[in-house]
Amino acid sequence: MAELFHRKLERTAIGFVLAIIAAASVGGLVEIAPLFTIDETVEEAPDMRLYTPLELAGRNIYVREGCYACHSQMIRTLQDEVERYGPYSLAVESKHDHPMLWGSKRTGPDLARVGGKYSDFWHVAHLTNPRDVVPDSNMPAYPWLARTELRLNDLPLHLKALRAAGVPYTDAMVENAAVDAYDQATPESSTSSGVTERYGEKTQVRVFDDVATQVTEMDALVAYLQVLGRLTDAAYKNTAAPQKPPEPVK
Amino acid sequence: MDISHDALVAFSKSWGLFYLIGLMIGVLIYTFRPSNRGKFNRAKQSVLDQDDKPWT
Amino acid sequence: MILTLTETERQVALAISVAVALCGLALAAAGNQDTMEIHGWLILAFGGICALVVIREIWGPEPPKSRLESYYDEPIKFGIAASMAWAVVAMFVGVWVAALLAFPDLTFDGAWASFGRLRPVHTSGVIFGFGGNALIATSLHVVQRTSRARLPDQLSAWFVLVGYNLFCILAASGYLLGVTQSKEYAEAEWYADIWLVIVWVTYFILYIRTLARRKEPHIYVANWYFMAFILVVAILHSINNLAVPVSLGHAKSYTIWSGVQDAMVQWWYGHNAVAFFLTAGFLGMLYYYLPIRAQRPIFSYRLSILSFWGITFFYMWAGSHHLHYTALPHWVQTLGMTFSVMLLVPSWASAGNALLTLNGAWHRVRDDATLRFMMVAAVFYGISTFEGSFLAIRPVNSLSHYTDWTVGHVHAGALGWVALITFGSLYTLVPSLWKREGMYSPALVEWHFWLSLAGTLVYIFAMWNSGIIQGLMWRTYTEEGTLAYSFLDSLRAMYPYYIARAFGGLLFLIGAVIGAYNMWMTVRAAPAKAPLESDVPLNAAVAAAGRG
Repeated sequence: MAELFHRKLERTAIGFVLAIIAAASVGGLVEIAPLFTIDETVEEAPDMRLYTPLELAGRNIYVREGCYACHSQMIRTLQDEVERYGPYSLAVESKHDHPMLWGSKRTGPDLARVGGKYSDFWHVAHLTNPRDVVPDSNMPAYPWLARTELRLNDLPLHLKALRAAGVPYTDAMVENAAVDAYDQATPESSTSSGVTERYGEKTQVRVFDDVATQVTEMDALVAYLQVLGRLTDAAYKNTAAPQKPPEPVK
Repeated sequence: MDISHDALVAFSKSWGLFYLIGLMIGVLIYTFRPSNRGKFNRAKQSVLDQDDKPWT
Repeated sequence: MILTLTETERQVALAISVAVALCGLALAAAGNQDTMEIHGWLILAFGGICALVVIREIWGPEPPKSRLESYYDEPIKFGIAASMAWAVVAMFVGVWVAALLAFPDLTFDGAWASFGRLRPVHTSGVIFGFGGNALIATSLHVVQRTSRARLPDQLSAWFVLVGYNLFCILAASGYLLGVTQSKEYAEAEWYADIWLVIVWVTYFILYIRTLARRKEPHIYVANWYFMAFILVVAILHSINNLAVPVSLGHAKSYTIWSGVQDAMVQWWYGHNAVAFFLTAGFLGMLYYYLPIRAQRPIFSYRLSILSFWGITFFYMWAGSHHLHYTALPHWVQTLGMTFSVMLLVPSWASAGNALLTLNGAWHRVRDDATLRFMMVAAVFYGISTFEGSFLAIRPVNSLSHYTDWTVGHVHAGALGWVALITFGSLYTLVPSLWKREGMYSPALVEWHFWLSLAGTLVYIFAMWNSGIIQGLMWRTYTEEGTLAYSFLDSLRAMYPYYIARAFGGLLFLIGAVIGAYNMWMTVRAAPAKAPLESDVPLNAAVAAAGRG
């Protein structure tokens, strides 16, 4: 008898657990389930290209340093934001972003369309010590980026992992990831045409940090910053008043 | 995928709402059922009991 | 502490410690080019220390059978100590990052000390380290008392608390090394996440097993909140953190979610972490320790049930209000907004229930700083949930989003509600757990209270001001129809508030340090309480009489 009573008690605890799951999961299901088919509603952007290995490495540095804590990458559909930062962000633009870096706080300005707004030289100086170029800035200085060599040998593994997560990197891209990263930042090397063949003519191949002898984390981060908002022109075409994307600053 | 996005959204919106109302009614019945009153009053008082050891 | 474990449990504990240490060794070997290596050695050291602690007393005497006649509180004591240690460390880092915003060169030229790396140390440290340890400890205390049942075994609770702290250490040290997913409030990388799943499942099973042993037929409402906290956090954590590691030797992983889907999953997680970690769990604390301290039953038990289900329902829908005016579909934004506003009803029901419980005991609130902690916590809970619903309204959000107003709102909740209810509960719990007459110094509790309150107020007023100014400056136009201020103009306007905010945080930190000291001295030096008749198992009393 006592045994039976005990069983019943145990059942009510389990029943209770099920009730909580039932109550709590509805909201999540209703909101998230439709997002599995959201690809149908995301705009088309046939011209969109993938991050090159160098840009991806730069993105990983952006992730590592927690830049998202102060910079958003999401221009909202508000007039003042569009005037300040450029056309509002489209869903398709972060289609291949694992994770997305929309951010939630602007201690510094939005970076969704910072690519091409400033020169490489400005970025390098700014990252080395922001107060050299913007005296009132409260951004941390990142002088060690220019001193630290970029790890290249594991880039194929990174592309592979991303492919497993759904980014359409081809076999050639995966195989050549390390070489492509090196070449993109050292244009004198003989094979540098490979990057543009695989990632498109518009890929920016140049020495980003002013030091051609080695590929540093600074090269990668600046390459990433310079491509922000420039993977596709969709945001400039699909708006009420289509415009041409601005010419990048050299 | 076979299910279209719009269909899924419509399903979520309508059935999500029905589900919500249903659960809420269930909770209201549980809370205000007269037979539960004694149980709740006991629970309310029992945390104030002084004895600090498990019952055996 | 090891002597309270049975012999079998000691052997299992040793086996687990050695297994953890070996996993650490494997990670260190696999990750020998990566930051993973450092974490491998760290895990090895952690497992090794645990193993040594167990070995030292592994042949000690078996605990007496009479242990089953009292609740098992040893791991709870550990949890409280860990919670206060994390509070001091993480709040210190909080003051530091606040200062960094005004004085950006306080980084000592080290990569580890830049704002982006320290900030998650602060957020994870206070949420998971301070809040999480306090939640686990109090939940295990509450579930035993309200079920009138002892924990089913001695080892599980230790595994949960010690294992949980390993997760916290991996998370915090990882951020300093640059190991992060950059997913807000879920920054820890894949191996730490997997470890947390193991710990959390054990916690869940322990809780259910204790409930199953209960002698009270009805499950007291505080346990409902703790249960929801444990369950939903498990669901949120495992879904949000699904990721593909670069390799088993890399600390880095890529989340399987991308773009707009990732944004929705992230804020579904982020907002429900607020709901079920920072609200439900702490409401569980409130519904037990507030009646105990006020010595009055909760005002309305029915209301507490209704608000429980209200919170469990509504919160899940609210996450998308973090994504107003973004590329997220419009209907999802509207849904999030609607439910956020509806959430005000169960939230205020809870806050009102707490305050009405105190009605008739106001003289106690006046005289007892511990009870005042809880009262002010309930008030701040009411304020910050109102503010939350308000900020979720789309046009309001267009101004407040991306500004310090959000930060102020979060801290109204985190300092005013979460931290104050925790301190109130711990001040109730510490003397009773260590069998002391009261806290070492009631005057220091008083100091702690006023410092916390002053710190919180300075903080949130500074952030309200800076946030609203910032938001307005961004959208102000000149008469010619151009934007009136550059971004830099708005940043310049922030500096005074950033300094004020750091000062408010400093006051709060000093309060927490005083609190930790007071608890330490209570354990060390406060006079022991004469045990209640019923408190001592019969045979122990006989033995004591025999010795006397």
